[in-house]
Order: sequence, then structure tokens, then C-alpha cells
Amino acid sequence: MVTRLLLRRVLQAIPLLLGVIVMNFCLIQSVPGTLLDVMTAEQQVTDPALIERLRVTYGMDKPLWQQLLHYINAVGHLDLGYSYRHNLPVFDVIMAHLPATLVLMLASLAIAVVVGVAAGVIAAVNVNTWRDTLVSMLAVVCFAAPSFWLGIMLIILFSVKLGWFPVGGMTTIGMDYGTGVAGAWHAALDVLHHLALPALTLGLFYAATYARVMRASMLEVARQDHVRTAQAKGLTRRAVIARHMVRNAMLPVVTLLGLQLGTVLGGSIVVEAVFSWPGIGGVLFDSVMSRNYPVVLGLLVLSSALVIVANIAVDLVYTRLDPRIRTHAS
Amino acid sequence: MRKSRGLSRRQFLYRSASGALAATSATLAGTAGWLVSPTQAIAAEAAPRRGGTLVASWGGLEPQALFVAGGGGSSPFMTSTKILERLLKIDEKLAFQPVLATDVRASSDFRTYTVALRQNVLWHDGKPFTADDVVYNVQEHWKPISAGVALKALKRVSATDAHTVKLEFSTPVPEFFFKSILAGQYQVVVPKHLYAGKDIITNPLNNTPIGTGPWKYGQWVRGSHVAYTRNEQYWNAAQPYPDKLIIRWWSDPASRSAALETGELGVAFSNPVPGRDIDRLVKTGKIVVDTKGYENAAWTVTVEFNQRREHVRRREVRQAILHAIDRKFIIDTIYFGRGKPAVSPIFRSNPLFFTDDVPKYPFDPAKANALLDAAGLPRKNGSRFSINLVAAAWFEENAKLGQYLKQALQDIGITVKLDSLDRATSLKRIYSDYDYDIAVSNFTAPLELVPVVTQFYTTDGIVKGAAFRNATGYSNPAMDALVDRLTVETDNTKRQKLAHDFARLAATDVPLVPLVEMESFTLSRTNVRRATTSANVQGDALADVWLAS
Repeated sequence: MVTRLLLRRVLQAIPLLLGVIVMNFCLIQSVPGTLLDVMTAEQQVTDPALIERLRVTYGMDKPLWQQLLHYINAVGHLDLGYSYRHNLPVFDVIMAHLPATLVLMLASLAIAVVVGVAAGVIAAVNVNTWRDTLVSMLAVVCFAAPSFWLGIMLIILFSVKLGWFPVGGMTTIGMDYGTGVAGAWHAALDVLHHLALPALTLGLFYAATYARVMRASMLEVARQDHVRTAQAKGLTRRAVIARHMVRNAMLPVVTLLGLQLGTVLGGSIVVEAVFSWPGIGGVLFDSVMSRNYPVVLGLLVLSSALVIVANIAVDLVYTRLDPRIRTHAS
Repeated sequence: MRKSRGLSRRQFLYRSASGALAATSATLAGTAGWLVSPTQAIAAEAAPRRGGTLVASWGGLEPQALFVAGGGGSSPFMTSTKILERLLKIDEKLAFQPVLATDVRASSDFRTYTVALRQNVLWHDGKPFTADDVVYNVQEHWKPISAGVALKALKRVSATDAHTVKLEFSTPVPEFFFKSILAGQYQVVVPKHLYAGKDIITNPLNNTPIGTGPWKYGQWVRGSHVAYTRNEQYWNAAQPYPDKLIIRWWSDPASRSAALETGELGVAFSNPVPGRDIDRLVKTGKIVVDTKGYENAAWTVTVEFNQRREHVRRREVRQAILHAIDRKFIIDTIYFGRGKPAVSPIFRSNPLFFTDDVPKYPFDPAKANALLDAAGLPRKNGSRFSINLVAAAWFEENAKLGQYLKQALQDIGITVKLDSLDRATSLKRIYSDYDYDIAVSNFTAPLELVPVVTQFYTTDGIVKGAAFRNATGYSNPAMDALVDRLTVETDNTKRQKLAHDFARLAATDVPLVPLVEMESFTLSRTNVRRATTSANVQGDALADVWLAS
């Protein structure tokens, strides 16, 4: 049954991706300015013949509909095109940055889920007490604080004043980690050391959302019959919360997690800039500014695919969390 | 294998213009505080020390490629020039110094130049550097891409032996002009044996350049940094001094500032932090500021008047508008006091050609109103006429300047529609579509005026789609004739007078007006010595820099 669900979701994803490509291609082309304008300006090109040669090289001499068909055909063959700005295939440009972004996203989401769910549970089980008020206040602060501001504040406190964490980057440049398991361990620790502040900056924002959602969801679940039954059976309060409330209350959080993957990607771009994290933020910003459409499109296609995959994964998690959904799917 | 050093830099002081430049700049240095270099004062303390890792950055983003033929903006200029060298450089005293050329001689009619090249220089892959490399670059790189306008009169280039190149021109070429081309921002020498027969613009080798410079390409971690290693076979055996050079990007100025404070960043060029942060950083005692090293790339912010548009095509209207602009307010408010009012397209940082004897437009709104009334443009319902103002907001300051200009012009009865636009849109509106009445833009002026500065004013500078040229459409036969003479005049004194005439005419007709000579600065940790030994530090090879213990 789960296989059928998976297959149906994958088939639905194909026209969705096609729509993403066509819509983004049209949106990008409607923005004034072209890669040619930027590249000729940067390269101080004044010779009209050279400008024309570059127009042909960049494939901009063809009508837009031909460019679109050519692009769709190429993507169909898993070719995202070539970035003349980087002198590299688009896939290589993206893959040089994507792993760092994924590490930051996953770490931030882990912080967001753990902190957010824990805070939501604490607030819900202590509803209308000072603990509940404190969690709500902290959630508002974390949600309202712009991530670039929070990032700078963390840098000033933990990097400049206390010297506990580096200002930016993903690794200590030039550090020799050694070889074997010990080397890998040291490298991982170094990445974690650099990851702490950016992941916290991004994670706290989403933790605030999850805390609020989890609190509301817990309060709703608490009123349901199966919880009352569990309490009547004489289970301890901790067992009721852990086994019967949290699991059911997690569904909205999981939904949010899938929906927010795209936003986390967007949020990571700001955090990457503050912490010089070598992710796709910088390359996306430069590509938008320079109208480097192949890279922008490639990133949008990949991020769309990422969101689609995440939502399929969420569907699958649903079936594990709630047997009713599994039954319905079947 | 250590290579012969050939002539030392100090033995290679060029005669002619460079001597005059050095003397003039030394005089200016004594009188103008902004030329004083704190790092130079520190540098006098001790001899260079080998070792250490220098981490450098600048006030911009990661480059799209480590080397971009023709430039590609400031980022690849910074990354490529550590690996790829030019034939000459202009040092911090504004004198030409040898790099890959050891001697440059002009024929008596200044139509032929003979360039002697440094011997026993190796490319980073071990192949010898020869005259064929230079001939290839002149023919395939400089002439068609990076210096086409400057080398317009080039007829022939040939190698007379393995280390001598002869360039022949159809017109006389002033010596300072020619040497400026050889020391020019984008005239790096790429290896013929790796580029010949391939497209120089799209060559993937541009991401892992091989050159003759003091630093060899090590590793580019995209989004983070480029690591360079010392070239142990560099022609100057003593250099470079640090073991490693890292060029790293902090895209956020506040993080860059924090990195300087913590010592993660050693030196940062080209206004790496907002001007308001400088005093705070210097007060920590760990960081020094230096404003030298930008003389050959002096930044300015300009207003450009589109000559195709009804009102601003009139000179008296343009002059009236200039009287409505308070440059002191702009400098104090937008640039935090870090700049000087520009009087012409030739700046104070250019002692060879600068003149203050030009028409000026002091802030005087009453005069501006009177001039507009006299031009037959009275206020009707509070407005004389409407214009479209395009602010190229690639710098935050340009957007602010656009907002100020809107208010200043409305004070004299000109209704302004302001468009603050991003880079690509600005380039298209200003340089491709000519779709503006007044534009706020920028340019960097090297010491040599031809062609970079002059092409904003000459008729042949109008090339649709080509940025940072004459987009205003200004065309004046007198200006064209003046620039033609400036291009071929070989007598330094006469050339200086022609430059002054150029400045006066530009300041009279005012089709494009530099408003502010923006002050550029470098911030470095106190242990970083001799970071400024060039008149364009961002493109310096950083061969002289060393780290005190």
C-alpha cells in the first residue's frame, strides 16, 4: 500500500516539476537585464562583434520558446546546463555549495524540532503557569528577532567577546585533521564547532513556531477520549504524555516540517551570509543579481525537487505516526 | 632552483613621467593627510620575516571565476592577480616598477616600443616564460578583450628574441600611456601553451589559473575561500614571505568587522566595513586603517545627464541642477565624512593630471532657481518639469544619494521619479536602453586618463550596450579633438596641459559629473606589514606583505 502511495506521489511530482520550470523560466525572463549586460559590463567589452559573439555563446540569440524547450529537454536528460559565468556545468556549481546548505538546514531543523517540541510540551503540561508564560515569551522573541540580527549578536557575544566559536566558515582553514577514524572525528568536531552558531540562529526561529504549534496541539490532544482513558487506566502522568499525547500532537509539527523546508532553505541564505557559510546562498544571490539564469533555474529545480521529496517523506511519516492515515491510504 | 632576480625593483625607477609622479606624490603626501600610511610607518620597524598564513578579504563577494579575461569586476581581479602577473606595476609612490618586464624603451618617434622581459621566469607548471607568451597575450587577450580601446593604434607585435617584444603603432603613443597599459588592471599575462587555440573567455583553466606570480593556486573551496601556496620558484627568490595566502569572503560587513577583531582576518581591502565602524575598530589597538593604495583605481560617484532627453540636454539646466546639490552634506551624511567633493573627472589622487582650475558649482539653491528661471523653465503649480532619476543601487550609498537628489531637485521645482535598481536592471536602463534623464552611477579612474576616463566624454565612447562608457550621448567635436591630441601627445608638459583643458571642458559642459571622490581604505591587523605597496592594492600580488611575530 505504501509503495502505491509512493508511486502516486512520484508521478504527481513530474508535472509539478515541469510547472516549476516553465513558471520560473517565464518569471526570470520577465525581469529586466540579462547575463549579457552584466558580463559585458564586468569584462569591459566595447567591441560590438564580441558582444554578439558572447550573445551566441550564452545561447541568447535564440527565441525564448526555443530556449525553454531546449532547457526542458536538457533537464529531462538530467542536464541542468552550463554556467558561463563560472565556467562550470550548473550541476557542479550547485553541488559545490549544496552539501554545506543541507548540513546547515538539517542541523537547524534538528534544533528546531527538539527545542520546539520540548518547549511546546513543557508549556502545554504547565499551562497558565510561569513556565508556560516564559516559553511563550521566548517563542515570541525568537520568532520576532530577525535572523541576521540574532546572528550578529551571537557572533559578538560568543566569538568576539568570549572567543568560544569562530566568526564564520565551515571549517578551520588549513587545519590538518590527520587520517583514519581519528581524522574524520576531528574534522566532524571542527564542522560542529563552526556549525553551532549558524544552526542555532536559524533553528531558534523555527523552534519558536514549533513550540507554539506543539503547545496548541498538546492542549487539543489532552482533551481527547483516549488520553482520558489512559489516565483512567492509572498510567503515570509521564507515560500519558509520552505515549499518548506527544505522538498524536506531533502530526501538525510534521506537517509544518514538510511545508517549511522551502522556507528553511530561504532562511539559510540569510544566515549563510552572516556566518560566511559556504552554502548556496551566495551563489544564488550572485546568480540572481547577474541574471545567471541557468544557475537560478537549476537551483529552483533542485530545491523544488527537495521540497517534493520532503513532502513525500512527510506522507510516509504520517502513515507511521497515525494508523488511520495508513488505513485511508490503503 | 632559485632564479636570478635580474634588476631590483629600486634599480628600475623609470625616467620620464614616473619620476615626475613620484616627486609630485611625495609633495602631496606631505601636505594631504589622507595620503599618510600608518602601515608604512609600522613597516619601517623591522626587516621582512618569513612564515605564517595571511588571511585577506575585501568588501565584496566571491568571484565567479578566479580569472576572468577582461576583468569580471573586483573579485576576480583580486584573486587572479596573486597568480597571474603583469609586465609592470605602479607602486605606492606612483612610480612604475618592473614585474615581468625589465625595461621598456620608446623609439624616438614614440611609434615603436621595445619591451625587455625578465629572464629565467617559470610558469607554475615549470614551462619557461618567453616573449611568445607576451605576443600571444597582446594579440589574443589584450587587444581583442581587455585593452582593445587602449591598443587601438597597435599595428604589429612581434618577438625579436626569446625575451624581447616589439610593439609598433600607427600613431605616437605617450610613454606614460603605454606603460599604464602594461601595468593596467586587466593586462595580466596568461600562458600561451595552455590557452592558445582555446577560447580565453570560457576556458575552464580560468578557475585554476597557472601563472608566474608569487602565489600558486592551491584550492578553491566554493563559498568559502581560495588557498594559495608560496611559489618556491618565484623570480624574486626572497618573496613571498608568508607560507600561505588565503583569500576568504565574508559577505556580511558586520561579520567581516568581527573577523578583523578576532584575528581570523588579517587584512581587508576596498572598504571592507561601513565607514562608521572604522574608528571603533582602530580604537581596539589591534587594527590600523590605511587610505593609500587606491590612487590607480580612484572611485567616484557620478550623476549622468542623458543628452537625448528634453531638459537635461541643455547645459544651463545641468549647471543649475549642480548648484542645487550640497556635496558637503552628501559626504558627511552618506559617506560618513570619507570623501572629498570632486571638481572634475580628474581627482586629487592623480597628482600628474589634477587641476583645481576648473569651473565649480557651489551649493546655491537661489542661483539654481535663478538659472532655471532664466532658462525659461518657470514653476507651474510648483513644478518646472519632471525627470526620471535612475540610481544604480549596486552600492547602498547610490540609493541614498538618489533619495537625496530627489529632495534636492524638488527644492528647486524639478519633479523627480526615482528608480533605485539592482545591478542588471541598472546596467540595462543606463547603458543599453539609455532610459533615464539623470543616472547615479560610479566609475574607477586610473592615473592614465585615456581611455578609461576620456571615453565617458568622447563620441567614440558611445557604444550601445557597453557599460561604463559614454551613456549620456554627449558629443562635442572640441572634446573629441582634445582627447585625440591627449592620446598622441608625447611631451609630458604639453600632455598635462591638455589634461587640464580636458578637465575644464568636462567641468563646463557637465554631461557626466563626478560628485564625490570616494575615500577607499584598507584595514589590517597590526602584525600585517607592507600590505600597501601598490597604487591599486586590490590587484597587488601581495609579494611584499609579511607578518610580524
